[in-house]
Amino acid sequence: MTKPFRVARPRLSLLMCTVLLSALGCTDLQETPTSSITPENFYRNEAEVLGGLASVYAQLRGTLDDYWYASEVSSDEIVVPTRGSDWYDNGQWLELKRQTWTASSPSGLAFMNGSWNTPFTGIARANVLLDALQRVTVPNQGAIVAELRTLRGFYYYILMDMFGGVPIVTDIEIKPRARNTRTEVFQFIESELLAARTDLPDSWPSTSNGRLTKGAADAILASMYLNAGVWMKETGVSPTAYNTCLGVVVSGGADACQAAIDAADRIINSGQYSLAAVWRSNFTADNQTSPENIMVVKFLNKPDVGLTFIMRALHYNQLTGAGPWNGFATTAQIYTAFDANDQRRQMWLEGPQTNVETGVPVCERPSGSTCAPGGTPLVFTDSIRDITQATEGEGPRFYKWPADPNRPAGEINGNDFAYFRLAEIYLIKAEALNEQTPGSATALGLVNTLRARVFTPAVPLAAIDRASLLRERLFELATENKRRQDLIRHGVYTAAWDYKLAGAANLILMPIPQPQLDANPLLVQNPGY
Amino acid sequence: MVRVRQVVPVLIAGLLWAIPLRAQDSTGTIAGQVTDVGTQQGLYGVVIKVLGTPLGTQTRTDGGFTLTDIPAGTRTVRVTRIGYTPLEQVVTVTAGSVTPVNFALHAQAAILEPVVVTGYGSQRREAITGSVATVDPTTANVGVVTNVNQMLEGRTAGVNITTNNGEPGAGVQIRIRGATSLSASNEPLYVIDGVPITNAEAEAPGFGIGGAPPLPRSPLNLLNPSDIGSITILKDASATAIYGSRGANGVILIETKKGASGGASMTYDSYVATSSPYRSMDVLNGSEYRQFVAGQVALHNSDPLKGLDSTYLTALGTANTDWAKAVSRTGLTHNHNLSFTGGSDITRYRASLNFMNEQGVALSSGFRRVQGRLSATHFALNNHLRLGVNVTTSQANNDYLSFENEGGFEGGVFMNEVIFNPTHPVTVTDSTGTHFYEIGPGAQGVRNPVGLADQIQDFGITNRTLGNISADLDLLPGLTGRINVGVDKSGGVRQIYLPKASPAGAQFQGLARQINRDNTSQTFQGMLTYTRQFGGVHDLDVVGVYEFAKYRIEQFQAEAQGFLTDATGFNSLNAGSVQITPQSFRTDDKWISFITRVNYGYKQRYFVTGVVRRDGRSAFGADHKWATFPGISASWRISDEQFMPRGPFSDLRLRVGYGVVGNPGVPPYSSLIRLEATGGAKYVFGDLPVTGFAPVSDPNVNLRFEKTSQLDFAVDYALMDNRVSGSLEYYVKRTSDLLLEVSVPQPAPASTRLENVGKTRNRGLEFSLDALAISRPRFTWRAGLVFAMERNKVIDLGTYTFLPTGRVSGQGQSNQISQRIIPGQSLGTFYGPRFVGVDAQGKQLFVCSSGSAGCVNGQTTTPLASDYAIIGNAYPDFTIGLHSSVAYGKFDFSLQMRGAFGQDVFNNTALVYSTKSNALQGKNFLRDALTDPTDIRQPAIFSSRWVEKATFVRLQNITLGYVFNLPGPPGSPRSARVYVSGDNLLLLTGYSGLDPEVHAEVGLASVGIDYLSYPRPRTLTAGVQLAF
Repeated sequence: MTKPFRVARPRLSLLMCTVLLSALGCTDLQETPTSSITPENFYRNEAEVLGGLASVYAQLRGTLDDYWYASEVSSDEIVVPTRGSDWYDNGQWLELKRQTWTASSPSGLAFMNGSWNTPFTGIARANVLLDALQRVTVPNQGAIVAELRTLRGFYYYILMDMFGGVPIVTDIEIKPRARNTRTEVFQFIESELLAARTDLPDSWPSTSNGRLTKGAADAILASMYLNAGVWMKETGVSPTAYNTCLGVVVSGGADACQAAIDAADRIINSGQYSLAAVWRSNFTADNQTSPENIMVVKFLNKPDVGLTFIMRALHYNQLTGAGPWNGFATTAQIYTAFDANDQRRQMWLEGPQTNVETGVPVCERPSGSTCAPGGTPLVFTDSIRDITQATEGEGPRFYKWPADPNRPAGEINGNDFAYFRLAEIYLIKAEALNEQTPGSATALGLVNTLRARVFTPAVPLAAIDRASLLRERLFELATENKRRQDLIRHGVYTAAWDYKLAGAANLILMPIPQPQLDANPLLVQNPGY
Repeated sequence: MVRVRQVVPVLIAGLLWAIPLRAQDSTGTIAGQVTDVGTQQGLYGVVIKVLGTPLGTQTRTDGGFTLTDIPAGTRTVRVTRIGYTPLEQVVTVTAGSVTPVNFALHAQAAILEPVVVTGYGSQRREAITGSVATVDPTTANVGVVTNVNQMLEGRTAGVNITTNNGEPGAGVQIRIRGATSLSASNEPLYVIDGVPITNAEAEAPGFGIGGAPPLPRSPLNLLNPSDIGSITILKDASATAIYGSRGANGVILIETKKGASGGASMTYDSYVATSSPYRSMDVLNGSEYRQFVAGQVALHNSDPLKGLDSTYLTALGTANTDWAKAVSRTGLTHNHNLSFTGGSDITRYRASLNFMNEQGVALSSGFRRVQGRLSATHFALNNHLRLGVNVTTSQANNDYLSFENEGGFEGGVFMNEVIFNPTHPVTVTDSTGTHFYEIGPGAQGVRNPVGLADQIQDFGITNRTLGNISADLDLLPGLTGRINVGVDKSGGVRQIYLPKASPAGAQFQGLARQINRDNTSQTFQGMLTYTRQFGGVHDLDVVGVYEFAKYRIEQFQAEAQGFLTDATGFNSLNAGSVQITPQSFRTDDKWISFITRVNYGYKQRYFVTGVVRRDGRSAFGADHKWATFPGISASWRISDEQFMPRGPFSDLRLRVGYGVVGNPGVPPYSSLIRLEATGGAKYVFGDLPVTGFAPVSDPNVNLRFEKTSQLDFAVDYALMDNRVSGSLEYYVKRTSDLLLEVSVPQPAPASTRLENVGKTRNRGLEFSLDALAISRPRFTWRAGLVFAMERNKVIDLGTYTFLPTGRVSGQGQSNQISQRIIPGQSLGTFYGPRFVGVDAQGKQLFVCSSGSAGCVNGQTTTPLASDYAIIGNAYPDFTIGLHSSVAYGKFDFSLQMRGAFGQDVFNNTALVYSTKSNALQGKNFLRDALTDPTDIRQPAIFSSRWVEKATFVRLQNITLGYVFNLPGPPGSPRSARVYVSGDNLLLLTGYSGLDPEVHAEVGLASVGIDYLSYPRPRTLTAGVQLAF
């Protein structure tokens, strides 16, 4: 009875050991994602490369959030007043308006951090795709590489505008890196754009409408050359005087002002662009057909890709089927600067208000959207008594990109946002010409061409100077993400204006946000912060 | 996994051949009764075993038992029951006859099971060297208990339970010896019948009306608390090292009830409970609001820069609605459990069925569960092979309410309960019929809360099956092999419809969404255990385990908007005119582990345990997939030493333990650079959207386990013949390689990634005491106390100066944070401006450093970031739990209290809703604002003003029961217990909000933030327990 038990002993133990040992072989922990992919098994054909390219373009949408807030609210164009219990938001909007930010203050942690991350994400996406394109060949490769380099250049343009010198990175390694100088960043973008423009097409077929062209590269270059007096200098940028492009040497030994004129002329003479007959058509939902567009951020009235600008400014009761935020207004100083007969003033909503789609008059919130009897009609005043305790109706609102009549629902609008329109190229050329020849007649002509389409009867300027050029840029380009840049170039960014005292010289560069300094110990903070 | 199927039959075949079966000798029967010495009542559920045989049974409700087929001869019968001193008696069994035998058991002070499940095996309680606590499920399952976690409240020192809110089936935050991790989970590992389970959400999150959706409900709701046989909590690292990389937050071991041999028995228990909100928001009523507005209008008429203009008065309605009352109700809960158990010497079973239906105290919220469970064990090969199977299958139906957990521009139910104007009615009748009153047609930020609760459909239905099958085989004397295979499969669907007729759905013209989620876990364990005593003084116990586990989550989501009719709800997505891009994903996670443990005891006085676990996990970086986790602990039973005088101590032990364990809190693929087709990567070429593929994560080959080392010192004591017993423990827990989602140097595809940076430290003291204060015939009184204090500290955050957390919710609070994680400070540190008062203009004043802009006499109305300071801490100084039970004759009475002392809570609700400026938008506000001098035009500003002390003591439960012995024909109930029970009857606190126990998920390791939570109910229960 006991004998078989003994015999069995080693066998069973062996069996158990075999089980365990064979299981030891089962130690493979290689991980393969199933609902996402890794770069090694992607970007293998044209469609996949276009999918990657779309994601690099997509980051342009993000530049219309934090970068737009930082550019517009920190300037004199836009103010976000605290309205009772609305819009205090950690004091970030008041801080941005008053230019009292620091690297770790509310607006520093929100808007500056976003303005740092968003373009850098675009750069990283471009680098990942450019890296992959070294290992694969697809049709149209040259143009795609040129697009990527131009896009990457534009993201660096934003960083240079906001922060000055930043690390120039063209590989895909993630590691701490020291800052390049602002001049180096300028020259990097310049050389990238000059190299890329030869491979970019003059235009794309309509199915690719909105992708970058030679004109886009030239427009970015023209803007850079006009601002070269700020961006090419490591020291000596004046916070209180005009920073001219004259005398700044750029690629090929050219003078920056002349280079700006040349770049502008390449666009004007390309035959690709013309001024839209109706100024307003540059901003309506069907504005993708505007002949004036040079470089746009594309939007569609479809989920994920819609423009939400109307939500920022309109009152809660001004849209059907969506509740806008009643936030962004302008000041009396800006609103009244516009000529009452200038069509461009229509971008501001002022006075008694209606539902912007139905035209039905609306009331303030306590009276309900349909105006209870005796309710308070909604009136946008042209001034705000106190931006720390404004009422619902105070301040004119920007309504440059009107509601898309085919909005499917909510806040999804198909209006494109133009970073560069031909009108601005005229103004860039005019400003550079004015530097070369103050009061230049050609410059005056360009400005009056723009004014001719917005005044009936025409109200041409008799003469121009730097101040009138800055004013004309305000009228033409308000809320188009240019104002901070323009004010710095003109040496007035730190001046006192409505709701803001004069500020320190260092404010013309934004602080590098604290989380970025923490993440990358090689970064050195901008002076004064 | 395939191998298992082959191995088991082979082993069985081998054994059949190896061990010849012995013929049965002639047998006899023993029968008798087990009673409590004190109460002289029969004791139900006493385990009776005939030593040296596999025979055993349990007593019936009257304490009686009968055990047949006992081999004739002199046998030792051992009786054991939780809470009683075990007893042995020698009995002479005569073939063919019934030998009467009776036992009288003495109650113990603490309710302690003699054998404790410790993970991959069990140990005698006195041999345990680590920090291990047990909870008796029978005494803990009182009142309305939806899930097993609620049974742990206030019963174990160092185990802190916070139910998220008062929602039926709400999730529970469990912290065993405090939180150590910042971004990884701080939840313990759950092991059910030996199988580690993931507590991944079984249902996808909700829509989030006007903010983040309410927190998910607990996936453990799928288990019936009445099926729980034992709960063991492994607290220190020497005990949890056996679970290695998953042990850092402690381990909760749950064993379900098993069948017993002997006569079949059946129990039925049922209760009915009613619940109502303990407190509601204190807002102005209709006439008060009207009076307030009239006052403001009068003020405005005298000074146009102040108050409200007269249109605010004309905009008011004529009703007087108590919105808090309108959205709440008396919730009715009923629960039914039926179980039967029985079996023979070789096969035993237990089956149970549970139905529970719980109504929330807010309209349109509830939880319903139907659950069935089957457990069977089979003893074969003369008890050398033991087979076990446990299967639980359940369906949970969640009816969710649309309330917000954070955010809040357009609110859910609880925000609107506060702000919706009390002068407006709930419903109005006009030409279109009777409908909910809304401020205006179409989408509105302010919505009728009753309408929201009533109109929005949000359901979650989950089916979950959890099962394991095990085989234990005695291979050699002392050597046992075990195979345990577990499967956990759940399928949950979330169904949501926002009707076009509701303001929340109007902007979409109706929105329907369905999300399906499937979770699958598979676990295989192969285990060898060797137990041997030698030399009369040495006890050795060695375990070796191989474990393999796979976890898969799959999800699919579809959504449509733009419906012609609300009639089809979420059931016909194709009826929507706008189809939102469907989404799906799948993740897989794989674990492989090798485990060894050695327990050694010498002379029953000195014990040492050593554990080594090597864990590999697929989700970690290529260079760090494997890690080793050791643990060692020892105990010394001093009371058994010769030199110890026969003093007050009937038992005195010293324990010390050290271990290293891990926190695996990393989602799969976190170490890889991945490309995904996200909405943010989409772009428009021409007039068509193009699907974009963008990198969504940054690679990190160094991503690894977060490691926690823990040192534990303890004294276990017992006094007065064990009538008083307990433990005193001190521990130091150090966590390094903290997993943190941090900013990475730019450019990088994603702006943050998960990295191992930083260190935290927790130190704590725990004390427990259980006393049998009175033990007399017909009268016993037990009382217990647990006390814990803990201090945590962030030691290091790598290169990060601080991490902001604790996002503030509500209108005008974007980008406002309330907490900072700062090296050198505790977690849960509130950080912000220091409030000093209100100036003559009604502006709030804050402390400032002189010289900064706007600072006058050290006070400013516009605090700068540089003026912020530490303004509180959310962790308590100490916590206390008290429980007491009395048995007097046929009555039993128990109560449980717990309290936390010294913690701060940020009353986010008061910050944003006790501001008169709400009236500018026609909204109501909390009554406190009436007497607040802050001007009506002032915004709500986060500051120390809103951080309050939240010390509390809560009377958790009181239960009174009475036992009947029922005479009657066979098959009718033999005993019945009826009871009444009250939950949350009394809350003593100075905190001004609804409830000082709060939870909101608003950033890394954020705690102590109170925002519009679902009110905790006060519940009254009446129940009956019948045993047949």
